Amino acid sequence: MTIIPVPRPSKKAMNPNRPVSALLLTQIQHLQHTERRLPLRYRTAIYTHAIRTEAEAARYIREVTEAIHQAHADAAAERANRGRGGQGRSKVKTKSRKHGKKK
Amino acid sequence: MSLGLQNLKHIVVLMLENRSFDHMLGSLKAVDPRIDGITDQMSNPDTTGASVKAQPLAEFQGQLNPDPDHHFQAVDLQIFGGGTSAARVPTMQGFVKSYFNQRRDVGHSKKIMYYFKKDDLPVLTTLALEFAVFNRWFASIPGPTICNRAFAHYGTSFGRVDMNPFDIIEPFKSIYTRLVKATPKHTAKVYYYDTSSSTMEVVNLLQNQPELFGTYKQFLGDCDKGLLPDYSFVEPNYNDHEADDGEQVASDQHPDHDVQAGEYLIAEVYMRIKRNPKLWASTALLVVYDEHGGIYDHVVPPTCPPDKFTAAANSTGTGMEFKFDRLGVRVPAVLISPWIPKNTVVDRVFDHASIPATVTKFFLGDDAARSPRETNADVFVEPNVEPVDPQRNLLSLNTLRTDCPEFGV
Repeated sequence: MTIIPVPRPSKKAMNPNRPVSALLLTQIQHLQHTERRLPLRYRTAIYTHAIRTEAEAARYIREVTEAIHQAHADAAAERANRGRGGQGRSKVKTKSRKHGKKK
Repeated sequence: MSLGLQNLKHIVVLMLENRSFDHMLGSLKAVDPRIDGITDQMSNPDTTGASVKAQPLAEFQGQLNPDPDHHFQAVDLQIFGGGTSAARVPTMQGFVKSYFNQRRDVGHSKKIMYYFKKDDLPVLTTLALEFAVFNRWFASIPGPTICNRAFAHYGTSFGRVDMNPFDIIEPFKSIYTRLVKATPKHTAKVYYYDTSSSTMEVVNLLQNQPELFGTYKQFLGDCDKGLLPDYSFVEPNYNDHEADDGEQVASDQHPDHDVQAGEYLIAEVYMRIKRNPKLWASTALLVVYDEHGGIYDHVVPPTCPPDKFTAAANSTGTGMEFKFDRLGVRVPAVLISPWIPKNTVVDRVFDHASIPATVTKFFLGDDAARSPRETNADVFVEPNVEPVDPQRNLLSLNTLRTDCPEFGV
């Protein structure tokens, strides 16, 4: 069987400094909408109006996405703890995030 | 009896961004005249009235900058050529005019008519010629990304024609909720590329049901281990970023992202499924684009039965309300399975509401709480219920193909 070669994109394709597109701005707005509903300890300290590039967008997107997952994971852990007869959050070691943590 | 349908256990959808059918697959008409692609006679007028012909001059990156407008109002101009009367007819003659509006540069506006040569896109064109290519798969709305992707997840956009967050309106549920809440329970997952790219379905799915999500790496691992859920929706990388394992080039093909990166992604998804023989025999993979991204296509989007919702005139930007009674511009769509005869061309009409319609009918049989648009949408995989209509069943072979292409990824 002949294997069809698939060219990799050129090295020049990568441009994390590319200005954010309307699509990425929309995604940021949706994440910000969601972030506002998170408990304070999960929120980032990133000022979204200052996001200009794809790399900056990616950082914000990652932090909020991880925060959403973490908030749900912590809530599930608390729920499980209560199910085992615990008293709620005081008994649970939650993995709260530091504000604006840079990774 | 259909062996293909009997064996089918997994449906995978890979949805890329913002390219029209003619732009990506139009060149295939020269190879197979049954494919409703592009000819060098097709044209649009520019703003001076001169005729601009479609040409095979598309480039992977750097050409469609600024990003062509594809909001509702701009797409209305692209389809209707600027007509606003009640008696207007769709002509697909407004693409160059629409692109001119962004840079006021007549020369640049002609690039919206450019399309790729077949050999520029070895992955997508090979898959289209080897499996089933859809001549009439349209975006669900003549508008932008979020509302079109909503149709793929919910079978409706709940009345939205824009990019704003929307609320789920009962009784309609996402296809994932339908599957995981069903009895017997089914499995479903949205695989986003990584957390730096995340999903375009933030406000409802990610916020409320993060357990539905996995990463692209997990998708690849699930393919290898035979752990794919019944239904998988794969999202590309939406931005250029650094990750622990190096540079991650956006693979969504959204202008001005590199088209070859998306080609590589399609090949990788296909080969990962194919390299697991059990999975390959039991999976149908749909590669489809969310909308046309403002890029030229020659096929007039058809009217369709309206949805339950109406978008008000002030949200369409056209001065007219929209009852969701016309589909968006045509997009590339290819269905892949070793049970599909080589070189299948499908002429039936589909849109993204066909995705939840197909998944629901195949795995659940039916679900009464579906939008009018989804209820009316055609399915691309027939339910595995006798008698199966051989005229409609795309997975129609009685033996598994052994001649399917391989990509070097």
